[in-house]
Amino acid sequence: MPEQVIDDSPEHRAQEAERRFALEQERIRRLIRVATPFISVAIAILLGSVVIALSGKDPLLAFGAMFSGAFGGTRQIGETLLRATPLIFTGLAVAYGFRSGLFNIGAEGQLFLGGIAAAFVGVMLAGYPWMISVPLVLLAAALAGAAWAFIPALMKARIGAHEVITTMMFSYIGRYVVSWIIAGPFKDKGQIPQTPELPETSQLPRLSDVFTFIEPNRAHLGIVLGIVLAVVVWWVLKYTVLGYEARAVGFNPTAAQTGGISVSMTTVKSLCISGALAGLAGAVEVMGVHHRMFDQFSSGFGFTGIAVALLAKNNPIGVIAAAILFGSLSAGAGTMQLEAGVSQKVISVIQGTIIFLVGAEAIVSWAVKRIRSMKEATDVR
Amino acid sequence: MAPDATLICSAPETGPASAPILELRHITKRFPGVLANDDVSVAVAPGEVLALLGENGAGKSTLMNVAYGLLVADSGEILVNGEVVVIKAARDAIKLRLGMVHQHFMLVEPLTVTENIVLGLEPTSRFGGVIDRATARARVIELSHRYGLKVDPDARVRDLSVGNQQRVEILKALYRDARVLILDEPTAVLTPQEVKELFQIVRELVSEGLAVVIITHKLDEVMSFADRIVVMRSGRIAGETTPGACDQASLARMMVGREVVLRVEKSPSVPGDPLLEVRDLQVSDDRKLPAVKGVTLTVRAGEVVGIAGVDGNGQRELVETIMGLRRASKGSILLRGKDITRDDTRRTIASGVSHVPEDRHRRGLVLQFDLVENIALGDQRKRPFSRYGVLDRVAINAEARRRIADYDVRTPSSHVAAANLSGGNQQKLVLAREIGRDPDVLIAAQPTRGLDVGAIEFVHRRILAERDRGKGVLLVSMELEEVMSLSDRILVMYGGLIVAEFEGGTVTDEEIGFFMMGGLGEHDPKSPDVSGGEDA
Amino acid sequence: MFAEVVTPELFASAVRLATPIALAAVGASICERAGVVNIAMEGLMLIGAFSGMVTALMTGSAWLGVIGAVTGALIFASLHAWASVNLGADQVISGTAINILALGTTGFLMETIFGHPGTTDSVQTIGPVFDFPTGGEGPFATVWLWIDTVFLSYTPIVYFGMFAAIFLTWALYRTRWGLRLRSLGEHPRAADTVGINVLKGRWFAVLASGFMSGLAGANLTLEQVGSFTEGMTNGRGFIALAAMIFGRWIPGGGYLASLLFGFADALQLKLQLFSDIIRIPAQFFLMLPYLLTVIVLAGVVGRAVAPTAIGKPYSEKG
Repeated sequence: MPEQVIDDSPEHRAQEAERRFALEQERIRRLIRVATPFISVAIAILLGSVVIALSGKDPLLAFGAMFSGAFGGTRQIGETLLRATPLIFTGLAVAYGFRSGLFNIGAEGQLFLGGIAAAFVGVMLAGYPWMISVPLVLLAAALAGAAWAFIPALMKARIGAHEVITTMMFSYIGRYVVSWIIAGPFKDKGQIPQTPELPETSQLPRLSDVFTFIEPNRAHLGIVLGIVLAVVVWWVLKYTVLGYEARAVGFNPTAAQTGGISVSMTTVKSLCISGALAGLAGAVEVMGVHHRMFDQFSSGFGFTGIAVALLAKNNPIGVIAAAILFGSLSAGAGTMQLEAGVSQKVISVIQGTIIFLVGAEAIVSWAVKRIRSMKEATDVR
Repeated sequence: MAPDATLICSAPETGPASAPILELRHITKRFPGVLANDDVSVAVAPGEVLALLGENGAGKSTLMNVAYGLLVADSGEILVNGEVVVIKAARDAIKLRLGMVHQHFMLVEPLTVTENIVLGLEPTSRFGGVIDRATARARVIELSHRYGLKVDPDARVRDLSVGNQQRVEILKALYRDARVLILDEPTAVLTPQEVKELFQIVRELVSEGLAVVIITHKLDEVMSFADRIVVMRSGRIAGETTPGACDQASLARMMVGREVVLRVEKSPSVPGDPLLEVRDLQVSDDRKLPAVKGVTLTVRAGEVVGIAGVDGNGQRELVETIMGLRRASKGSILLRGKDITRDDTRRTIASGVSHVPEDRHRRGLVLQFDLVENIALGDQRKRPFSRYGVLDRVAINAEARRRIADYDVRTPSSHVAAANLSGGNQQKLVLAREIGRDPDVLIAAQPTRGLDVGAIEFVHRRILAERDRGKGVLLVSMELEEVMSLSDRILVMYGGLIVAEFEGGTVTDEEIGFFMMGGLGEHDPKSPDVSGGEDA
Repeated sequence: MFAEVVTPELFASAVRLATPIALAAVGASICERAGVVNIAMEGLMLIGAFSGMVTALMTGSAWLGVIGAVTGALIFASLHAWASVNLGADQVISGTAINILALGTTGFLMETIFGHPGTTDSVQTIGPVFDFPTGGEGPFATVWLWIDTVFLSYTPIVYFGMFAAIFLTWALYRTRWGLRLRSLGEHPRAADTVGINVLKGRWFAVLASGFMSGLAGANLTLEQVGSFTEGMTNGRGFIALAAMIFGRWIPGGGYLASLLFGFADALQLKLQLFSDIIRIPAQFFLMLPYLLTVIVLAGVVGRAVAPTAIGKPYSEKG
């Protein structure tokens, strides 16, 4: 490394000292950045406690109930993993978009399209062995999700229409389209608007059915799929030309373009990949949990995916952890409502707070600085 | 401070002749990583032109931004008319009748000249808050007549030439009744003739009793207009003198702190076959207006072709079109005789054209990427950097290390973000990528903008080395001196056309300056005068 | 059928349905002209709708409800202002957080206050401002019916929306405030160097959009529906963004663009009544406003130019 210093003037030495100072500052900043997710979760839970206390309930009891509801036993842990599964996929979807400078706020719609595609292809492939039908069902869902992201992607690439509006609008449109398919052309027999049940060859089995030494619980193979996919996405971002170009465009589209990367092509690719990941979320939910498609099959996984991605700082491996955290909140919320009488909706307050704090990283570093300066002030005294 | 300075120049008087109107005492300002001002004291009196001379990064602009309230000093005090004042924001400075024209103009482009001038101090009619546009317009016209600063009060600022935009900036200060006018690098964007006009205006202002501070790094200008010169180096005052008591060489020494070569040494060129040919090229700008209106030029092997011209005369569009970043509406571009007009950027790079973009932060580097990933940019799809779409990180690392060493990029590690490098090292990184790729043609746009003398020398040597290796170089620069010293052939671009061509070393600044304004001398047709004129 | 569809009531219904979108769009154009992106209108509107409803139910006065709606929206808008103006946070993400926070908060409070999810109790809605007699026979009576229905049949907030659009358009181009606001969105540093307080100006703009979104929410619950349902804004805040862009960041333009969406909505509602004749599934009618938004964006965005400094945080000491 060309790190030999030839210049030894006092000016240069002063510069060197300043440079070290800067690196030190940079280190602190990086520390804050790493600590942000943890601090944010802590603050959000604290705020959640205040809200619960204000509503006249006992926050300690509430979070205690929530914890036992999420981790109290194999069944509970299974429930946590079950709820974390679609969030890994949507979290990856949103994170991949963010890495490429795109905010896929419409993952919810792509998820619906993925779900209906999975339900349809799964039923169509009845009679084929699972080794054929499972991959094809997943592929169909990914393609459907990508297709639903394609027009917003094209609009972004060609005329610069902001993806926040377009993917959101497509999300609404998608939900209505799916709702029509479920109630109309692909409706199961009976009164309830839902699709026919998937044949077993297109379902994702429960973990406890595959690994019989595990006590029975609802978690299914989708979680394994999600973890594998997270590693794949991490690898793609770091070790492939595709990921490199996506990140370059995400950081600085102008420089990327100057370096010969087609910004519009990259935008289309990235948003479609993001859509495909969201579509897979719908597929695993259909294949692993409900085994059919109906209107209420998602409890806002697409939106929670935003919180997951932000909390994970868009790191695919971090997405796994963040998804499990949100999965546990969701799994424990029922117990909390039952035992402490606190509305489950408090978790979306916590979720919103986390997005606010992590997304607006500035707030946490502001808080850290505040606390520091307060400490310094008291130290002086 | 700086005893070496007094040895070089006989510095007769210290401080201004009469009582200072603005005085900065013991100003210290620290940024993360730099001590921008270290105990600096400067004063300026009414009726004098003070030149604040120093390299890029010497701390001149920081000092004046402190005076104008855009930065707050860590320590030190500011006095106006002998009284200590607190300037925490620009509005404080304006109240104390200080005015500043920034290097990057502080003009709101979609607004008109009048709106820009009155912004923040708008005349309003009886109904609270309704702008009295007639009064505003009248005041602008009156001011512009009084100081001979011709501008069209109703023109939109984005339609004005750079020189005229600068006039608007000066009018803005005068409208606020400034008694001290600070001009930050005012000549950087002007033609030699416009520079002359500017100095006439400055003289006019000084004769009305204003104090003028000019921040600059150009030695010849300092010598010709300043009453007093304060030299800054690395955040400190390196010396003070007058033009009469000093020569350019010793000023340069004071400014840089060592002996400097004012001109690059270069051997005569041995031009070979044409490498890059541009034929009758026509291009539109972002607003769909014609920007390049039929340019024809040739760059041969082993020569540097320099394009001189004022910013915004189609140079940017020309370069971007050659690089495939912009579509030509007519004409063709040939590389070694092969048509590359329709090639996209990736193919253009692959066929042997490299590009040092004018804005290294926006275009040159992905600042969040580390050095290694920045080196790969543009070659990421080629072997050995990747195969079958998978990056070979080992190969990229090795190549990056080699180039970082070759181009003397000073960095703690090759895995820090490019944002952490100094400007000079960032530019070296760009060169390491673009020249390190071993292109046939190198297009360098503003390759030394914002760099200190050491880095400038490095960049110039590298460019000439490429020429001597038989490559073709197309140099685009607003710095006339740079074009003059590096180029074997000089083209002057004006209004989207090549309006003149010279052999290197055969012309003077004035001759080129004449063509930089379209060969029309004193009058710039792009600038409508008060009585109307064209309004694009 | 044409005569049954194209009635004065269709146009009046278009204006009414456009109003929440229009109010938000007008507010957004002020906010974005100052350089702050506000995608939180959806959430602010929801908060306004809810807090307005709760206040009205508690006080028994719909008018106090309007004040409650505006207050609630302003509190959440302050969060956005603080994060994006003072702390330089990512404005799109801050807006998203507020949208999700609004959904969660209203849902949580809903269950806490009313003991059940879904829809609140209802209140007497605010009635029309004017009440002129109509009826009778002849061409004059028909013309009068049209005039009365299309122009004189609205509730107060609807008229306020029209007034705000016209007044703010004028103010943006003719007043000191407007000139300064525009400079904030184009070149905040230039504004700063001539002594304009960028942070204050942007705070005001964000609060203005909060105020307008709060009114939009009040219009939904207190003038139109009479009760609050979870998630009832249903994307109107995002449609308002599209309307703002279509209206080229001019308040009046945003209002007119909103009328287009209102008309589409009114038309689809009307056509649903004829489902036995038209035989198109309801879902396709329901998606019409969103589809229209996409089409409008596809047609217009390339040519509309956003304020230059939009979305960029500004720090005085940068």
